[in-house]
Amino acid sequence: MPEGVAESAAGRWRRRSLDLVGRNLSVVVLVLLCLISSAATWREQNPVTSRSGAAVARQVLEACQTPCSVLVVARDTEADRVFVQAIEQGLDTAGARIAGRVFGQPRDVRLELERIAGVGGSFDAIATHRIASEWGPVRTAGTPVFAPRSYHWPTFLTARNLLNVVNQNADIAIIALGMTLVILTAGIDLSVGSLLALAGVIAAVTAQEWFGGAAASPAGLLAAMLLGVAAAALGGLLSGTMVTAFRVPPFVATLGLMMLARGLALILAVGHQRRLVGGGAEGTPEAVRVDAAVFAWLGNGTVFGVPNPILLMLVLFVAAHLLMTRTMFGRYVYAVGGNVEAARLSGVPVTAVLLAVYCLCGAFAGLAGIVDASRFEGGRPNAGELYELQVIAAVVVGGASLAGGRGRIAGTLIGAMIIAVIQNGLNIAGVASYEQKVVFGALILAAVLLDRLQPKIASRRARMTRASTSTPVQ
Amino acid sequence: MNRALAGTLAVVLVFALGACGGADPGAGEGGEDTAARGTIGFSAMTLKNPFFKIIADTMTAEAERHGFDVVVTDAERDVNRQSQQVDNFLASGVAAIVLNPVDRIAIGPAVRRANEAGVPVFTSDLQAVAEGVEIAGHVGTDNYQGGLLAGEAMIEALGEAGGQVLVLHFKQANSCVLRVDGFRHAIGEYNRDRTEGRIEIVAELEGGGLRDEGYRAMADGIQAYPDLAGVFAINDPSALGARTALEQAGRADQVKIVGFDGELAGKQAIRDGKIYADPIQYPDRMGVMTVRNIVSYLDGEDFERVHLIPTALYRQADAEQDPALD
Repeated sequence: MPEGVAESAAGRWRRRSLDLVGRNLSVVVLVLLCLISSAATWREQNPVTSRSGAAVARQVLEACQTPCSVLVVARDTEADRVFVQAIEQGLDTAGARIAGRVFGQPRDVRLELERIAGVGGSFDAIATHRIASEWGPVRTAGTPVFAPRSYHWPTFLTARNLLNVVNQNADIAIIALGMTLVILTAGIDLSVGSLLALAGVIAAVTAQEWFGGAAASPAGLLAAMLLGVAAAALGGLLSGTMVTAFRVPPFVATLGLMMLARGLALILAVGHQRRLVGGGAEGTPEAVRVDAAVFAWLGNGTVFGVPNPILLMLVLFVAAHLLMTRTMFGRYVYAVGGNVEAARLSGVPVTAVLLAVYCLCGAFAGLAGIVDASRFEGGRPNAGELYELQVIAAVVVGGASLAGGRGRIAGTLIGAMIIAVIQNGLNIAGVASYEQKVVFGALILAAVLLDRLQPKIASRRARMTRASTSTPVQ
Repeated sequence: MNRALAGTLAVVLVFALGACGGADPGAGEGGEDTAARGTIGFSAMTLKNPFFKIIADTMTAEAERHGFDVVVTDAERDVNRQSQQVDNFLASGVAAIVLNPVDRIAIGPAVRRANEAGVPVFTSDLQAVAEGVEIAGHVGTDNYQGGLLAGEAMIEALGEAGGQVLVLHFKQANSCVLRVDGFRHAIGEYNRDRTEGRIEIVAELEGGGLRDEGYRAMADGIQAYPDLAGVFAINDPSALGARTALEQAGRADQVKIVGFDGELAGKQAIRDGKIYADPIQYPDRMGVMTVRNIVSYLDGEDFERVHLIPTALYRQADAEQDPALD
């Protein structure tokens, strides 16, 4: 790819984003990654829209003299129906005849062809889209096939894919917000993946067993979800207590909780499955299914076309951003991470701040667990495995320092998106999974290297500025 | 200065991406040029197990013969990852999707999204049972029958003495649940009118279907059940893990192992007398059949919607004549 193009595009983007994120390298990296992903996924796109339907109708009318009889073929989806409606409108106004109409699978096309042949009917053309034009019966029907022209565009830059990228990683981003607070205090929380699973399983089991299962009311489901979040917050409080009252290193305290919570999630899920089959045999660690359909709204529903997990992520992001930049609590967190003793001496309630930070991190993990459970219509005891590492990676790539005191919520969001874009770009560019791991490892190392290099460069620049502008003292 | 650093980082990433593209010529962007009829997206259960790698490789080879391109992704036994892969397939406009469902229920919403987008979903090896989903075709092993054969092999291995037997399970996969059901049934039938030489299944331990987890579970199993006479492991990796644990404990001669799958390492172990026997599966046939079903589907032809391939018992005598082991 031409380096100059990437630079100028990135530069433009960066100027525009400066107000929002300040001087942040990760934004540049994110934009570069988007450009790379776009270039790597430059593909043929096959439109199935109202406009392409009208275009097909015009193609047919140009090639076929009236009275023209047309077979319309499409799949059984909403987009296909809109597409077909446009074709038929176009054909109708020109007086062409619709010989038949198939909404379905290739097999349905074959049956329709057989039916038409059986009654001695015939048609002059098939109107369809590119996808169905590859179907066997369409190709071998022996009549001209008309489909909209395809065009080239990066698959990465389609609305569907961009929503996918953010939606798929909304849970990671949500947990990363809580993790940022913990890392700002120079701590770490390894239990988030397990707390996610525990929250999801508790929400699912209570929704099924206490709040009425299939007949559960929205209020009951909300209560079940809040119970799940509360349990995860309680878990966070437990590690906070270990860290503050007993001075257990956060790594060890949360490692313990990680196993404890995972075990509890598995026990609850297996116990529920056992009760389902009426005791006796041990259940399997499969997802605990929630029968109430509304339960899936949070994870799979959309508002104005935007998936709910993305909206939740944005709301939490704004809340966390305000918390960290506009409140006393935010300043306390930075103070504790910068220097615990100094913070203590200047009257910061260090213990309370740490407890609150771990509790919040647990609650964020719990919220992500609810999103996960809702997305899969049930609580999964195996959910969130190795999430802690992905989340920590997102925070570190976002520019936070594991030594504490340095990092921003906005940076974390961008860090999460960087990881998301890499994952998605590699996936849709068709890179095999073994190689993906290598790229991921390289990315984390590069990010940490950046973290290490930045102070050095800053100090060198400061020295250079001093040397060139100020007069020597001696 | 910042800019220079960002540039460096970006160059590193570009290199990394470029290197990957080069290492994987089959599935890269060149895809749509070579494949006349479209792309098939395959989300494998885990590519760490050779079984699924064989399905992926045979699918790729067979699809190429029919003019299709296969993009293989690894769900790493995580249904969240698998759903994301399905969404990515839908975004990139594949002709068909093939899954080894990681969780037969939780994969439901993702399959429904594929259904809504009009993209056919095929399953191989494992089935999906979520409500309201439409699966265009399934090819798998007859796992219950395989479990029965495993039971027969165990009865044969233990002889008239009978004894205590341990199961190394992987409950998350329904195929394994069926295998163990079949195994229990065969053992139950054998025990029915017998007072002596009975075979007692003393425990089911979670072996994860993996070598290391199977090893750890077996090491614990030996401690808990010192009188063990046999182990049924639901696949070869966990059977081989169990074998290592038994060797280390000096018990390898007293405890007979029955595995499942018949992957290369398993067959070699059978030849060397390390595993008594395996009901063998045919992942290669699974891959080929799945692609043929997809082609039949797209050609509008009728095909068997659920196709179960029976297993066959593979013992030391079979291994000695197996040309694949030389």
